[in-house]
Amino acid sequence: MSAANDALVPAAADELSNFARARRRFLGNPAAVIGVLIVISIIAAAVLAPHIAPYPNHAGSFVDFRSRHQAPTLLHLLGTDNVGRDILSRVLFGYRVSLLLVIGVLGIAVPLGVVLGLLAGYFGGRVDTAIMWLTNVMLAVPPLVMALAIAAVLTPNLVNSMIAVTAVWWTWHCRLVYRVVKSVVAEDFVEAARVAGASHLHILFREILPNCTAAISVKTTLDAGFVILFGASLSFLGLGVQPPTPDLGTMVSAGAQFLPEKWWEAVMPGLAVLYAILGFNLLGDGLRDMLDVEI
Amino acid sequence: MTAAPILEIKGLNVGFTGYGRTSQVLHDIDLTVETGQRAAIIGESGSGKTVTMKTVIGTLPHPAGRVMGGSVRFAGQELLTLGRREREKLKGTDISIVHQDPLASFNPVFTIGEHLDDVLRFADRRLGTASSAGDRRQRIEATLRQVQLKEPERVLRSYPFQLSGGMRQRVLIAMALMHRPKLLIADEPGTALDVTTQDEILRLLNQLVAEERLTLIMVTHNLAVVRQTADYVYVMQAGRIVEHGAVRDIFSAPRMPYTQRLLEAIPPLYGPRVERRQARGSEAVVRASEVVKRFVAPKRWLELAPPAVTAVQNANLTICRGDIFGIAGESGSGKTTVARMVMGLASPTSGRIEIDGKSVEAWRKDPAFRRRIQIVYQNPASSLNPKRTVAETLSVPLAFSGAIEKSRRPQRIRELLERVELPASFAERYPHQLSGGQKQRVAIARALAVEPEIIVLDEPTSALDVSVQKTVIDLLLRLREELGLTYIFISHDLSLMRNFCTRIAVMFRGEICEQGTTEEVFDSPRHPYTCALIASVPVLTDAEERAKPSVTLEERRAVLASTTQ
Repeated sequence: MSAANDALVPAAADELSNFARARRRFLGNPAAVIGVLIVISIIAAAVLAPHIAPYPNHAGSFVDFRSRHQAPTLLHLLGTDNVGRDILSRVLFGYRVSLLLVIGVLGIAVPLGVVLGLLAGYFGGRVDTAIMWLTNVMLAVPPLVMALAIAAVLTPNLVNSMIAVTAVWWTWHCRLVYRVVKSVVAEDFVEAARVAGASHLHILFREILPNCTAAISVKTTLDAGFVILFGASLSFLGLGVQPPTPDLGTMVSAGAQFLPEKWWEAVMPGLAVLYAILGFNLLGDGLRDMLDVEI
Repeated sequence: MTAAPILEIKGLNVGFTGYGRTSQVLHDIDLTVETGQRAAIIGESGSGKTVTMKTVIGTLPHPAGRVMGGSVRFAGQELLTLGRREREKLKGTDISIVHQDPLASFNPVFTIGEHLDDVLRFADRRLGTASSAGDRRQRIEATLRQVQLKEPERVLRSYPFQLSGGMRQRVLIAMALMHRPKLLIADEPGTALDVTTQDEILRLLNQLVAEERLTLIMVTHNLAVVRQTADYVYVMQAGRIVEHGAVRDIFSAPRMPYTQRLLEAIPPLYGPRVERRQARGSEAVVRASEVVKRFVAPKRWLELAPPAVTAVQNANLTICRGDIFGIAGESGSGKTTVARMVMGLASPTSGRIEIDGKSVEAWRKDPAFRRRIQIVYQNPASSLNPKRTVAETLSVPLAFSGAIEKSRRPQRIRELLERVELPASFAERYPHQLSGGQKQRVAIARALAVEPEIIVLDEPTSALDVSVQKTVIDLLLRLREELGLTYIFISHDLSLMRNFCTRIAVMFRGEICEQGTTEEVFDSPRHPYTCALIASVPVLTDAEERAKPSVTLEERRAVLASTTQ
């Protein structure tokens, strides 16, 4: 008994700081740590692509018919494509496009969705009806169809595929924030702030928004993977980034013609997409456990 | 008293493990309950009373909770070394528990009948005695009659939300009684309910103990409840039993200062200990005349008259400067609605509310209005933003009232914290780093920030422990002295109001049924509802019990909502 007692710490000294607790939860979760490592590796690959790619010039319209359709070897770790370009080099550059898409889309869709969700949830009434009506209509259209329609009307390029994806993406954030705001607004501290004389602007962005950030950051992280997939789908259908810019979706699409014999041409860029989605999802799940939010 | 002990706890130590560390929450608990005894475990929240009972019943959280030594014997049988299966057989059969929160204890998608049948079926299965549906039904109905529910068939068909809180609490008791337990543990039964309902639940428990020869362990933080429902009491503090003895002895001569503090924290209803507060002046600050508030549901298409509820009916009030004006009543009686209308947070359907001779409607457009009247909410966990530090919370009224320039704000925040007796270092803390009482002090500081004349106190102490309640009330009294404040105090705790308010209005089903000085209302209540309400308040001494207005069963029935049908 006494031996067990010696190991005890008094209850008061037991309190861990918030940060320490979050760090413990994070480090205790192997999936989350792997997610972080994957995401870091992708960002590093995209940023350092010109320096680490074995054949940086293969990112452009390089053609070398002598080495076309080569299976993975030590010279070309992921093989070469139908015009002899090194697939590994193109994948590394492809991540640049993917990450640009993520930053562009989420950089616009998240703030837009968050602000609309805040307004709808806080003001209620007609503002609520109008914003949520628009959101639900947008959600009713299958996102890929919507994006296809927009991408088809505009000329296919990176910026336009960003616009297409953004147009459907904000709705999810709007719905998420709307739900969180509805529950936060019922708390007494919102009315207390109003009684203290605070403006709507203050209540929305200083009192309510901080209570939504955990949910938003988890959702945004999980989204990053799906935006990459969505962008790749558009490119696969020929409505995204145009050749010769290396893009994972375009590469899968081009390689698909040579399946199943030249499998690496479609599978390797496909695996690259999978790797990215896996990384962002693991990170998102880890964040969710750490911040203790429900999505 | 030579009866064999039914429960004998010796040297029990329990710890909780988390994040790789263990902290001990129970220290050498010794506790003996004899067959047929009514025992009570009392202590503030966090004192370990619930953990003790969870150890007995075998529901310590797994794997965090860990028994680190000691013994728990039930009817001579050691429970801690008992096999899982054998232990399960006792749960809900020989040892039963009545939980605190009657709503959270039910699954909203199942009927009461399904709940009870499940409990019975699984208990039968554990015991290895299969039972038929018809047989179970009969036993369930018999048990519901035992807890005095008038129409068992209807109750069984109902969903939890269709029953009142009092009825749900009765069903919970029935659930615990179903297998004719030898030992019944009651974890703060009825504390979440109105005082009149709680009174009925306590009477029921007493009656059951007498009729069924049950052994009862009552877990509670309220000593006045203990006097009604226990013979023997264990006082717990910080995981230790600090004092135990017969209720009479503990109440007349508590040995430990902690027990003494708990006793003193309960405000008396009658007798020499009552603190009397005199009204200051007669200058009216708040005047309400013929105020009516109807809540109407939004009109639906093709609906001629949407459903409506009258929350407040013809209310007339005059609150004078320096008053501590209490509005008493049960939940749903309209007291909060009145306060919200005075605050200008809701507008009356008809009638007029004036503050300093100017109607609230007119005041609302005036930015100076907020500097006149402020509010302290019931639950500080909800009224303080968890993502903002104390300083950030306090700076909101300072920034928006424009009373103080930005550079002087930190100074003012320090002053406010000092006013509510908190150290200046708390400014950088987040609400979760504060205790309940400290949070409520911050909420009071926020209300004081704009130097209001009137503060609405919406049950400011009901979420706090009794001993903490006393310190907050003392603070409020001191602030009133120093700043000449007027309080509007909403509460259902009559004994607290007795010692705190100068004037009281009692609300009954939306109407103010009685109004007067505190002495008038308590010494000679006129309305039968006021009498029933006062009679339901648990008190500490027999003298107070005798001083309460006497109410016959018929009179009670006439004014109180039934909890039996």
